[in-house]
This record gives sequence, structure tokens and C-alpha cells, in this order.
Amino acid sequence: MSQINRIEGGLINRSKKLSFTFNGQSLEGYEGDTLASALLANGHRMVGRSFKYHRPRGIFSAGSEEPNALVQLRTGAYQEPNTRATVTELFHGLEATSQNHRGSLKYDFMAVNDLFSSFLSAGFYYKTFMWPKAFWEKFYEPVIRAAAGLGRLSGQDDPDIYDKGFLHCDVLVVGAGAAGLSAALSAGRAGARVILMDEDFCMGGRLNVETLSVNDQSGSEWATQALAELSAMDNVRLMTRTTAYGAYDHGIVGALERVTDHLISSENKPRQILWRVYTKRTILCAGATERPIAFGNNDRPGVMLAGAVRAYVNRWGALPGKRVAVFTNNDDGWRTATDLAAKGVEITAVIDSRDGQPPVDVPKGAAIVMGGRIVDTKGRHGIRSITLSNGQQIPVDCLAVSGGWSPNVQLTCHQRGRPTWRDDIAAFVPGGELPQGMSVAGAASGNLSLSSVLLNGHDIGNSVVSDLGFTPSKVKASSSEEETTGISAFWHVRESKARAWLDLQNDVTVKDVKLSHQEGFRSVEHLKRYTTLGMATDQGKTANIPALAVMAECTGKSLPETGTTIFRPPYTPVAIGALAGRARGKDFRPSRLSPSHSWAKEQGAIFVEAGMWYRAQWFPRSGETHWRQSVDREVTQTRASVGVCDVTTLGKIDVQGRDAAQFLNKVYANAFAKLPVGKVRYGIMLREDGIMMDDGTSARFAENHFVMTTTTANAVSVFRHMEFCRQCLWPEMDVHLISSTEQYAQFAVAGPNARKLLQKVVDSDHDISNEAFPFMGCGEITVCGGVPTRLFRISFSGELAYEIAVPTRYGDSLVRTLIAAGEEFDVTPYGTEALGVMRIEKGHAAGNELNGQTTARDLGMGRMVSKKKDSIGNTLSEREGLNLENGLSLVGFRPVNRSEELKAGFHFISKGNTANMANDEGWMSSVAFSPNLGHSIGLGFIKRGSERLGEIVIATDPLRGGEMDVEIVSAHFIDPEGERLRA
Amino acid sequence: MPNYTLTARTPLDGFSHDFNGVSVTEVNGRSIVSIATSLGGGEALSKALAKTYKLKIPEPGKSTVSSLDNAVLLGMAQDQTFLVFDDHTEDKPVDVVSKHLKDTAYFTDQSDSYVMLRVSGENSRSVLERICPIDLHPSVFPEGSVSRTIMEHLGTVIVHEKANTFLLMSARSSAKSFLEAVEVSALNIG
Repeated sequence: MSQINRIEGGLINRSKKLSFTFNGQSLEGYEGDTLASALLANGHRMVGRSFKYHRPRGIFSAGSEEPNALVQLRTGAYQEPNTRATVTELFHGLEATSQNHRGSLKYDFMAVNDLFSSFLSAGFYYKTFMWPKAFWEKFYEPVIRAAAGLGRLSGQDDPDIYDKGFLHCDVLVVGAGAAGLSAALSAGRAGARVILMDEDFCMGGRLNVETLSVNDQSGSEWATQALAELSAMDNVRLMTRTTAYGAYDHGIVGALERVTDHLISSENKPRQILWRVYTKRTILCAGATERPIAFGNNDRPGVMLAGAVRAYVNRWGALPGKRVAVFTNNDDGWRTATDLAAKGVEITAVIDSRDGQPPVDVPKGAAIVMGGRIVDTKGRHGIRSITLSNGQQIPVDCLAVSGGWSPNVQLTCHQRGRPTWRDDIAAFVPGGELPQGMSVAGAASGNLSLSSVLLNGHDIGNSVVSDLGFTPSKVKASSSEEETTGISAFWHVRESKARAWLDLQNDVTVKDVKLSHQEGFRSVEHLKRYTTLGMATDQGKTANIPALAVMAECTGKSLPETGTTIFRPPYTPVAIGALAGRARGKDFRPSRLSPSHSWAKEQGAIFVEAGMWYRAQWFPRSGETHWRQSVDREVTQTRASVGVCDVTTLGKIDVQGRDAAQFLNKVYANAFAKLPVGKVRYGIMLREDGIMMDDGTSARFAENHFVMTTTTANAVSVFRHMEFCRQCLWPEMDVHLISSTEQYAQFAVAGPNARKLLQKVVDSDHDISNEAFPFMGCGEITVCGGVPTRLFRISFSGELAYEIAVPTRYGDSLVRTLIAAGEEFDVTPYGTEALGVMRIEKGHAAGNELNGQTTARDLGMGRMVSKKKDSIGNTLSEREGLNLENGLSLVGFRPVNRSEELKAGFHFISKGNTANMANDEGWMSSVAFSPNLGHSIGLGFIKRGSERLGEIVIATDPLRGGEMDVEIVSAHFIDPEGERLRA
Repeated sequence: MPNYTLTARTPLDGFSHDFNGVSVTEVNGRSIVSIATSLGGGEALSKALAKTYKLKIPEPGKSTVSSLDNAVLLGMAQDQTFLVFDDHTEDKPVDVVSKHLKDTAYFTDQSDSYVMLRVSGENSRSVLERICPIDLHPSVFPEGSVSRTIMEHLGTVIVHEKANTFLLMSARSSAKSFLEAVEVSALNIG
């Protein structure tokens, strides 16, 4: 069988045959075909089964509004379900299969559902299958879910790649039909930067499918000429296969470009690109979508939209049927009859719901029924005949239906604009407030004749560019003969006794809408959700208005009073892969690598993600089988001799200016104004509300120059906070901030042999002895023969320690050098786990303690909030609630039974009290195993903690279970006097 | 004198590759010094820049070029510029600038803070439109323009050096991710 329904004419390239398969059957089509046109040309009317009743379904439309002809494309991991055959560009080797049937497409076992349709009306699952109760979840629901639905996913990872991008223009024209081309020509000729996009692979819109002429040429010839002119303009970008799917804030438009969907292979290029279009103005020329009329059994294959029928004939030379009848309520429907008759197709009847005279010359041999109704159709796998209200049966193999055209207003409503009703065209048109910068032209604005579309597109184009300051060209609008567009609203045939479909995709009938109303669903939004009207891939483009009309009838309201549901993006389906773009797997977000990363990787370090940073967590050595072994060793070795830890990730902020000291004095709660040059001070920063924000150190390198460190987690937020203070609170201060986090590779060198190790790399003209470089000293030195270095005598571990910072380019080399130079001291690198253990042993607060709920007082640093000066958070830290007598304080904890393991998140209850919320006295914030003490230790907050040292309380974990007695102790488990760090 | 020497490493070990109509090259051998204009000190700095580098202070978003050290002054923000110039092997970047501009402003070495990639060739804008949210059309972002933006979640400074040639500066620690973003774009086009 070879293209038995292919006729002459059309815009297909007959010199290029394309082979494809449908349900395994080999077929042929031509370049320029869609899958739908090729199937029709090959005589395939039935292409799928319906959602609920598994009714045979055929191709209904010729565009993205298609509710029926959903197929599965490709195979294996590339399989894509629910693809609309009407917008699938045919390519050589295309493999398509029908979906939603068990057994063959023709003999679907699940078609039995149709026999039980009376049990499956709208909302049936809310009312039936209620007994026995236990059956719902385990039996009914799985069975119903398996029976319903559309295509199936492959279940494999999507092997295609996707990308995203940003486009910019003065004028975005959405839709390249008569209006879009006219608007783009106006804008382009004026010199504006224009993007013209269209979802079709062949621009021209309905100019390619109608027989109306423009400027005495065929519509498609005029479109080709217009496109040639636009292509020659440097300021115009043409984007085919691109759908503007959403109008977003600030005039931004989302668009999906299907780059390789028309090719058998993507060849490692992105299959689709999701574009974010920044445009000053958008001209929406999205055209209009034809609506059906509901009547009995109006869903059979062969029942199609009238405009689609002539589109297949005119554009693709594909005949949907050989004996065609037309059912219309408007003049446009008659064009299908005249166009097809001109091609020699037999028109058996034209049934017009309106009374009066035919608006055009009657096709020869056609029965004309004015004021007629179709009440039923026959034909199991495709329409065979129609039955009129007078009982007359007319044999047909295709019925073209037109209920009028609805302007595609969707994008105009994406910012909550509501369309307004126009009686003269029986349709909603854009109304109210449009998205920023949007104008609407052509059929989308309610201009339904070609001549008005051409003029409207041209004028809106000129008006928009004029508004942008360009001088519009003087070229006149193209013109066309004036065609008649009369319509009289007619939504459904009341006389029909059989089910009459409104929403073909979701199997929603007139009866379902009436039932929904009967059951009290008055709002259109409720109607939608109860019946599933307008959901899924077509979003009710052909269904919504007729269904709303039925709803309006039920309520006795007018259609505009009934209103529409909210339109939301996307206009047509967008694959999740396209939304993800290239952000998949590890590409989901960038990685920040510290200067020692390569070296640490060579050492087999285990990394932890801290924000975007990868930090070495510990460095396993051979024979170590558990992380604790590595961490215990790193801690022990550091405390016994020396360890090196990469602390580059801590935020570093360079603060300069005449007022730098005063500035720090205001942002820190403790005093900084008098910090001598060459000294470092620990500082605490409060939020405006008096809660602890961050802590760190600031080193004074010169009178007007400080270097601040922040925690890794708060590096950005502290910088932002300080910029706010500088720019907004105290603009009179001469102070300047810049991040130097990336500029320096910084390593902590800690342990009793830290100085000896550093002395091996520090150039001899710099004295780092305890006397010359005491605890909390800082200075600019050189190492390894002149490399400029910043050295800080600070300690997070509680040991004699330094932090050494070199320009990042030397970071990799420095860590290798420190480890090599430290060999004689048995130096160890240590990771964030050992860092954490040592800071808990020392009683230093970290992120767990600065959790956004605690105050300086809670942390035992209340006296650091200087009352001799003002600083951010100072005043509000004095609030009564933050200074209660029985307030929290940070203390240490150890298990009474030393072999027990503490857990962070424990809550504390006094002995004898029941473990409940009322008796909750605090929580454990950090825990570690201390290899030095040989047992588990913790830091935590408990009411009046500092007064309760030695008390035994209950630590309980109601979430995970577990309870133990713990003793409140000093938070300083190691070297409470600080002798080591001053050594 | 210690027995050890330190070896400098560039963020991407000198990456350079030609793709379809676009070249992506790591830029090295250039120093970056942030110049913060002190409160009320604009005039003094202007004079010093004019005298030594023969440069005017550019507005944020613009740049000016000097023949001295092939220096380019990038207008980064109000009262903040970046001077990008050829490395001096003997002196620290801040010392080089201080020698010329004395204490007319506050200087901070940023040379190791950034990875710099030059994207050039006829397809450079096509590559960048996949990751760069700002409009790079010459009518909007003419040669000499500078902007701070975000590319693939990474803060980026972009400079339109000359026709179809863009300099990108992004944080050094995420240099590999940044390169990947640019590379993927170069591979994905056309």
C-alpha cells in the first residue's frame, strides 16, 4: 500500500521520499510531511485509543492543539510518549507506535471500558469502588491507573542532551503566519532587532494551508517572499520549530526550540534548547484554533476539524477522506467544502447549523442542509455515515466540523490577564492587562479575515517600532481579497442521544459537564478538576470553549459570565529534560575546588561537599578501615606533633579605608578600633536583632587595612551584610571591601611542632619565634625564596598554630612543600572531621552553635558585646527575652558511662523529670569522639549551664530513640588555660 | 634560605582549544589589581591615572586602555575599577600599581582570584548566548564594554575586547566548572 490518499499539490518535496514505520508497518511519505499527513496519505485514519474508554481515535487537527493523535516515537531509551503526530516532522527512519491499548490498536482488549461507560462518568472514582475499603489502594487504584493514561515512559535515563540559552531583541514576533510575517516585516524594515519564531518547521502559518491569495500571489508564495526578505536582514533572526510557551515577568518569554527532533539522531548536539527571551516588545501572532461542535459519537476517526481537513489537502496533498461532509456554524467551514471540491473530492453534504442561504457557491453534488444538525455517526474504526436530526443518513468517510475559531489568547493571560468575549466572532479575545510589552495582532486578536490580519500585523509592527523610537518604513501593508467570516454560536446538538464528546483527550462528554454541574461544581475551575477537562498535552485547546458553553447553559449564565479557567505556561508540552537543560548529575551545580584539591585527591582523601566547595574530610592511610581510625590518627598526630589543614574555604574580606577600623568597630560586637597593627582579634558579629550572625577573625595589616575571615558557610552573606552597611547605613565612611577568598591559598599548620615546620619554609629574614610573632600576631612575610605570604598566629584547634596564606597559584606547591618539609616531624594532613573534633575538644563554637537562634550570651561571650560603643545588634541584644536568668548557655557534656556515644540533637531533661517538651532544657549541638580523652564529648546548650557544672542530666533522643545520663562539664575539654596555643 | 621553592600553577594549566568557529583560551601572565577610589579622592586618582597610565577612570560598565604595561582599566562598580596589566616578574602587582599611583586609592591584588578565558571567533556570541544572560549585541554591548553577570551559577565579569572577542573572568576555585560551561556551549552550537 503506497500513499493511497496522496493527491497532487501541496508544499511537500515529492523528490525526497521518506520511509517510516507505524506499529511496525513500513510506510512512505515525503519531505515536508508531518507524521499525521503521511499517515493520512497512507490511508491510516485510526491512530490511537482514547484515555478512558479506549475508543478508536483518529487525527483530529493539523496543529499543536491535537487531542487524539498521540503516538510514541522512537524506541529504547529514546522512546518518547504522547507525541502529537500533527506536529511531528516526518524523517527517514521514524518509528512510531500507537499507545494506550492492550492487544493491537484495532482490537484493544481495554475497549471493554466503553461498554461500562456509565460506571466511568466524571468523578467515578470518588463514588465507586468504595467497598471493600481495603481494595482501593491495593486493587482498584492500580487497576484503574494501569487502564487509564496515555503513553509509557521508557524507564531509562534520557540519553539526549538539552541546552538553554538567552536571546535578546527589540521585538519578538510569536507566530509566522500572515500577521507575524507582516509585523516582522514592519519591525525589521524599521531597523529593530527582531526575532520571529514559529512552532512549525515551515513558516507561513495558515498561508500555507489556505487558498486565499496575497498581493495576487498564493499565500504560501507571499510567505516565501516575505521570509526571503526577512532572512536578508541582519537585524532579523528567524527561528522555526520554536514555540513560545510562556509569558513571564518583565516581558520575558520562554521558548522551546526543537533542534533535532526532525532528525533520526541528534549527533551529540542538544535535542532541544530552552530559550529565555528578553525582549522590549512582544507581538503575539499566535493565530486561532478551530473548535468542534459536540454531537453524538463525534469522536470517531475521520471526524476532524474543518480547517485541518483542507490543510491536509492543500498543504500536504493528503486526503483525509474521499467522501467528505462538512458540519459548520460559520462561513469558514464552507471553505473546506469549496477547497476540497476544487481538488475533485466528493463533498457529500454541507450541514450548516444556521438558517438562511449558503454563504458561498454550493459545491456541485453536495447536499446542503441549512439549519441542520448531526445527531449521530456510525463506523466502528472510522466514520462511515452521519445521521441528521431528521433521521437522514449520509455515507461519509470524513466529516469536517467547524464550530468557529478561538483566538489563541493563552500567552496574553499568563500574567493573570483575563480574555474578554466578542459576540460577533463568538470567541474570547485578549483583554484586560497584557503581559508587559505585549501586543497582539492577527487572528490572535480576533481579526479573522486574511485581509484584516495582514493589515493588523503590519500596523501593530509599525506602531511597536515607533514606540521604541524607530522610524517605521513607508511600505504599505499587503492585501488580500475580503472573505466572509460570519458565525452564529452553536456548541452542541441537544437532540443527540448518544454521548457527545467535548474533550477528546480526556474523554469528557456533554453529559459529564452536566453531571459536574448537577453535583454542585459551579466554578469552571472546579468543573475542570472534577471532569479533567482541559488537562494533559493539549490543555483543552479545542475543548475548553465548547465545554464552558455547555457549563454556561447549565448555570443559565452567559459565556463571558462563566469565564475561562486560568491559562498557565506552558502553551504546549515542554519535556522535563529541556527544563533541566544541561544541569544534570554533577553538572547540576558548579564545584569549587580548593588549591590543594589535586594533591588531596592523590592522597586518596575523602571529600565532603560544603556548599559548592569540596573539602577533604579525612585522609585514609593503608590499613585504616573505618573513618574514625583516620580521624583519630589525624587528631592525635596533630596534637602530638603537627598537622596541616586547607582552610582556604573560609571567607576572606579585604577591608581598607580611613574609616576601616571604625567600620569594623560597628559591624563587630566587640571592640576593634584600637587593635594594633600586626595583631589579630577574634570577633563576633550580631544580626540587627541581637542574635549571633557569624564569628571570625580580623587581622590589622596597616592602619587602614584589615583582613577579615568569616566562616565558610557565611562568606557571602557576611560580605553582603557589610556591603549593605557600607553603602546604605554609613555611606559617609571611607571604607572599601573586596573578597580575597579566591586570592589566597590558606593552610592551618597546627601542633607543637608547627613553628619548627614553618621555620623550614619561611625566609630567614622573618622571625616567627614566640617572642617576635606571639599568639594573635599577623604579618606579611615571604616563604621559599621570596613568595609573598601572609602569616596569622591563630588557632582553631587549640594548639600552637598558624595560618599561612600564599597567592593561590602557589597553593598546590605549598601543601606539597609543607608535607615534605614536615616529614621529620611526622606531619599529617587533616581534614574537616579532625578539624571538627579538635574545635569541640577546645570548646570553640561553629555553625552548629551559631544556628540563628543563639546569642553571644548563650555562647558564653555576652561580655564581648561592648557597651562602650554602638554596634549592629548591640541594642536589641539587651532585650529581656535574650537575657533571662535561666537562659541557655554553652557547656560541655560527657557520658556518665564513658563507653556510651553522644549524639547531636539530644535534648536535655533534669533527672527525675519526664522527657517531654515542657521539661526540655536544651540540646546537644555538636559531638565528637575525643581520641585524647578516649570517650565521646559534646557541646550543647542548657539552661543555666555554666552554673550547673558537674550536674548529671538526662540526654534523650525521642526521634531516633535512646537515652543516657550525661554530665555537664566545661566546654574546654583540652588545655582550658590556653597554654598550648601560646607556646 | 629555605631549601624549598614554590611553583606557580595556572587555574586551567594553560587550556586552549579551537572549536567550531570559536577559540577558547586561558589567559595568563596578566595581573589584576582592584582600585578602590577613596571617599573624596576621585580627583587625585584621576590625575595620577592620567599622568602615568594616560587613562581616564571609566564609568562602571566601560573600560579604558593604556599602552603602559598593556593595561586595561575596567569600570567594575561605583568607585571601583580593576587594572589588568602584564605581569611584572620582580614586583608584586600591588607594588607595581602603587609605584605609579602612590596612595591615591586603595589597592588589592586580585590576580589569583580569577580564571580568565578568552572566547574569540565568529561563533563567540553564539557560544556565549547559551550561558550569558546579558545582551552581547554590539549595539548594546559595544567593544570596550564590561559587565558583571552570572554564567551557569558562577559570577562572571565579561569584557568585549574587540569584535567577536570576549574576555571572561570568573572565580578561580570553580575554574574547571566554568571552563566546562564554556566548552559545553562551544560543543553544543551548530
